[in-house]
Amino acid sequence: MLPENITAVIARNERWTGEAACEPYEAGWAREAVFFVRAINPPIGPAPMAWVEISPDGMRWIREGAEFRMPSERDGIACARIAHFGNWLRVATKFEDGAECTVLVTLHLKA
Amino acid sequence: MTSRNISEIAEAMRIALLRVDPALSRFDPLPRIISLDDFSRGHCGWSQLVGNYEDHLDTMLPGYAQHSSAMLSTLGHWEAGSHGGMDSSYALKIATRPKPGAQNVAIKRHTFRKRGPIRFEAYFTFKPEANELKLSETDVRSVGFLFDLQGGDQDADAQRVMPHLRFLNASDGKHWQKWQYKRETTTFKAVGPEDKTLSHYHLSPDGWLDLPNGEQRLCYNEIPTKVNWSYLRFDFDLETMKATGFQCNDRNFDLSGFDSIRIPAMKNLWCMLNFCLFAETDVAKRAFLYVDSICISGDF
Repeated sequence: MLPENITAVIARNERWTGEAACEPYEAGWAREAVFFVRAINPPIGPAPMAWVEISPDGMRWIREGAEFRMPSERDGIACARIAHFGNWLRVATKFEDGAECTVLVTLHLKA
Repeated sequence: MTSRNISEIAEAMRIALLRVDPALSRFDPLPRIISLDDFSRGHCGWSQLVGNYEDHLDTMLPGYAQHSSAMLSTLGHWEAGSHGGMDSSYALKIATRPKPGAQNVAIKRHTFRKRGPIRFEAYFTFKPEANELKLSETDVRSVGFLFDLQGGDQDADAQRVMPHLRFLNASDGKHWQKWQYKRETTTFKAVGPEDKTLSHYHLSPDGWLDLPNGEQRLCYNEIPTKVNWSYLRFDFDLETMKATGFQCNDRNFDLSGFDSIRIPAMKNLWCMLNFCLFAETDVAKRAFLYVDSICISGDF
């Protein structure tokens, strides 16, 4: 039987400012995960670093270790690969005052 | 042996075979099984209901913009660990955002090959996110399902027909616990300058009507992380485009007062056979609809 895999859209056309994170996603069945973050509109201000977070319960979050810079231009894509994460996953970032990015966040999971 | 006897024996054999199959024994499917989803084999075609758009995603109606992908969950809880499903570790999970009135919808898209009876059966449960050490029994506003149907392109009576049923659990802190249905959608809007794509948000909070004698107290266990699975069955006749039966656990509901949203046939949705499941939160807390398994069957 072929291994399961899925593309999940976690955030679509969401305008991120300040402290921002996507909704939690359960992925305990998957052995590997890739987040893609695409800028739908031209970002404003400096592109901050973003990071992957994991959680014991989907409510309390700590950094997993993977980091990437948010896209700095329209249709720019950033990604993070994760291979050891338990069940819960999300990406988070923090923008300077006045900075923003409208994102499409997709999560690609493979058993 | 008469043809009637042969047909009775065939039906008895069919039932006997269903009863000894652990995957099917808890369902009462019609003669043809269209799909059997237990979510230990992936999402089984349940994807997110994405809204219509043209040129830019900004044109998507806000009700749809909030939707996101369903998950496969073991119902993992902070103090009790994974709850698991009925017959495997996994269930489909439809989660709202933590905002009062937020909704999320999962959809399975098919078409039909004969206008006849269809049956939708599922084992489901719901809970709010367990971020308070309280019972939280009035945090989930509703969970429910709908079909999105349209007759064939040669059918003189073709309409788009959308039966909706929801379990209104609570609103504004009142624990209603009753089934409701809907007959009207919102106004259709063109979502772009080309006037090719229309959209309407049929899950708006307005227009829900009480199903007569539709009060039902479901099993809601004593803390937010204990769940119990409930059975649901909805029967619909694609020939007459009318609902013919609705059961939840031990209750069979009278559908004589029920009707569907009915709108003129659309130019590109012939023989559509879509199934949706949805969750809605009443407070600033995520609501979760979990579905252990779904059997969709028909008589064709």
